Amino acid sequence: MARRAVRGQGQVACAWGCGGVHTAGMSPDGEVALRASGLRYAYGDRVAVDGVSFKLAPGEVLGLLGPNGAGKSTTIKMLIGLLPPQAGSIEVLGMAMSQHRSAIQARLGVVFEEKNLYPTLSGRENLAFFARLFGRRDVDLDGLLDRVGLATRGRDRVSGYSKGMRQRLTVARALLNRPDVLVLDEPTDGLDPVSARSIRGLIREEAERGVAVLLTTHDMYEADGLSDRVAFIDQGRILALDTPERLKLRHGQRTVRVRRQVDGAVEESVVTLDGDAGDRLRELVAAEGLLTIHTEEATLEDVFVAFAGRRLE
Amino acid sequence: MASHPVTAIIAKDLRLFLRDRFYAFITLLGLGFYVLVFWLLPAAAEPAIPIGLHLPGGEDLLAEALAEEADQGLEVVVFTSRSDLEAAVLAGDEVLAGLDFPAGFLPAVASGRPTTARVLLTGEAPAALHDALSAVVVEVAVAVAGQDPPVTFPEVEELVLGVDRADQVLSWREQLRPLLLLIVLLVEMFALASLVATEIAQRTITAILATPARVRDVLAAKTLLGTALAFSQAVLLAAVTATFTRQAALLLVVLLLGAVLVTGFGLVAGSLGQDFIAIVFWSMVFFVPLVIPAFAMLFPGTPALWIRALPTYGLAETLVRVTGYGEGWAEVWPLLALLAAWGVAAFLLGAGVLGRRVVRV
Repeated sequence: MARRAVRGQGQVACAWGCGGVHTAGMSPDGEVALRASGLRYAYGDRVAVDGVSFKLAPGEVLGLLGPNGAGKSTTIKMLIGLLPPQAGSIEVLGMAMSQHRSAIQARLGVVFEEKNLYPTLSGRENLAFFARLFGRRDVDLDGLLDRVGLATRGRDRVSGYSKGMRQRLTVARALLNRPDVLVLDEPTDGLDPVSARSIRGLIREEAERGVAVLLTTHDMYEADGLSDRVAFIDQGRILALDTPERLKLRHGQRTVRVRRQVDGAVEESVVTLDGDAGDRLRELVAAEGLLTIHTEEATLEDVFVAFAGRRLE
Repeated sequence: MASHPVTAIIAKDLRLFLRDRFYAFITLLGLGFYVLVFWLLPAAAEPAIPIGLHLPGGEDLLAEALAEEADQGLEVVVFTSRSDLEAAVLAGDEVLAGLDFPAGFLPAVASGRPTTARVLLTGEAPAALHDALSAVVVEVAVAVAGQDPPVTFPEVEELVLGVDRADQVLSWREQLRPLLLLIVLLVEMFALASLVATEIAQRTITAILATPARVRDVLAAKTLLGTALAFSQAVLLAAVTATFTRQAALLLVVLLLGAVLVTGFGLVAGSLGQDFIAIVFWSMVFFVPLVIPAFAMLFPGTPALWIRALPTYGLAETLVRVTGYGEGWAEVWPLLALLAAWGVAAFLLGAGVLGRRVVRV
C-alpha cells in the first residue's frame, strides 16, 4: 500500500502503526491531530456511543466502519463540535473541544452524509457563503472549483447539479479553510464510479499534504484502499482498531482455491492456509487436470463478521 | 470576527428570499393589492342614510320638520308620488327606505284622528332601520301637530364613557389602514418561516454550525432579516398610503415593534414546519388569531377581553388610535408597552424553539 508523506518532515513514513514502528495515531514525532477519549452519548435510555477512544495522526486516514445505527454519526457529531459528549473528551490539534470549539472548527473540514447545500445558490455562491463564515475572503474559489472538476459549472445553480457534482461541491466546501483535520461521513455513498474515484483522489491528496482524515464508509473496499487504519464500531463501541492488513491477517482466513478437470467434470478444492496447507497444495498442483489456482485473502467484511457476528449493512 | 457569520447569513438569506419566486410574487402582489384596495375605498366617512318621503301637499313642511334628522344620519329626499317612492326604494340606488304619508295626514294628526303612515323597506334593510323609521314617523307627527303627547319627557343626560368619538367617524379607508398594515407584517411571517424551515430540513444548519458560527449567530441573523423584511414592507405600504402625515416617529416605532413580534412567531412556525405544507399550517395557526384584533377594530365598541389578550391587540389598537385619531406618545404609551412586552415574549419563544430545534438536527 502506498504510504503518506508527512507534511513538513520531508520523509515518507510507513503508515501509522502498519509495521509497529510508530505508535498508532501518532506521527513519528509524536504529533496527534485528533484524540477522542472515552466518548459517551445516550439518547434517553439508548446508548449511542459508549467509551469510544482513538487517536488520529497528521497525514493519517482512519476509516470508521460500522453498520447503520452503530454510533458513527453521533461520534462524528461530537468530533466536529455539534454535540457535546456526555462523558469523555475530545482534543483537536492540542486544543480541548470543550474550551476551544470555535478555534477547532476553524481548522476542521467536514463532509456530511447528506448533500446539505443551498440549491437556489450557485456552486460558487455556496462556497463564498461558507468562506465568509470562516472569516476568509481570500479563498481562491475558482481554483477550488477547478480542483473538484466544477470549474465550468461554478456559476450554475446547485439545483441543476447531479448527485456526484453536489458531493464534489461539499468536498470543495470542506477544503475552503485549508483544514488540518478532515471529517468525511460517507463521502462516496451512492456515487457513480467516476465521481467516487475523483473524491477518493482528493482524499489521498489531502492526506499526502499532511491532513488528518477521519472517514466513515459502508464500502469495505474503499476503506481498505484508502485507510491507514480502520476502526470497527458496533453498538457504540469500537470492536477493533488496526491497519487493514493486520486485521485481515489476524482475524480473517486466507485460502487457495484450486480447480481441476476430473473425469470430465470441474472439481474445486479450497485450502485454508494453516499448518499443513503446503503439503495439500503440492498434492493438488501435482495432480492431473489442473485448471486454475486462486489465492484469496480475507476482506474487512469478513473481519467485521468475525468481531460482530453479523454483516455490515 | 463575531459579526462575520451574522452578516454572511443575512446576505445569504436575503439572496435566497429574493430568488424564491413564490414569496417574491406574493410579496409584490400583496403590496400592490393592498395599495389598490386602500385608494379605491371611499376617503369620506360613511354618508347619511338617504330615505324617501312622500306627503301629498305637505312636502315643504315635512322637509323642514325632518331637517334636523340630517344631523342624526338621515338624508331626506322628497318624492311627489307614491309610485315613484316605491320604485326608488325597490331600486335601492337613490334611497334605502321610504316614508309614505297618506293624503290628509296633517289634518288628521292635528285633530287627533287616527291615520296610518307606511314605512317602505326592502328585505335587505337592517332591523335597526325599521325601528329608526318608526320613531321618525312619531317625531314627524309630534312636529306637525305642534304639541307634545300628554306626558312629561324625562331629561336625558348623555354620558360617554372613555373617549367620545361621536364626531370622529372614520372613513373606510382609515378603518382599513391598520388591518392592511398588520396583514403585511403577518404575511412576512410566512417568508421567514420558510427560510428557517428550509435551513433545518436541508440540514444546511449543521454545515453552518460546523464552522465557527454559533447558534446565536443564526438566531441573530434570522431575527434581524425577518424584522427588516417585515418592517420595510410595512413602512413602504404606510408611505404609499400617506400614513406618515402625522406622528411619523411614533408610527415607525409601532411598526418596528410589530415586525419584531411577527418575527418571533415566524421563528416558531419555521422551527415547527418541515415542508411547505407544514410551514403554511403553522404559519396559519399563528396568522389567524394574530389578525383578529385588526378585524375587531373595524367594528364599534370595545373589543372583547379575549381579543385584548391576543399579542397583536396592542399593535392594532395603537395603529387605529395613531392613524385614525391622531393620538400621540402620551396617549398610547401603555399600548406600546404592551406591544413591546409581547414582542419580547414572542422573540424569546421563537429563539427558544429554534435553538432547541437546531440542536436536535
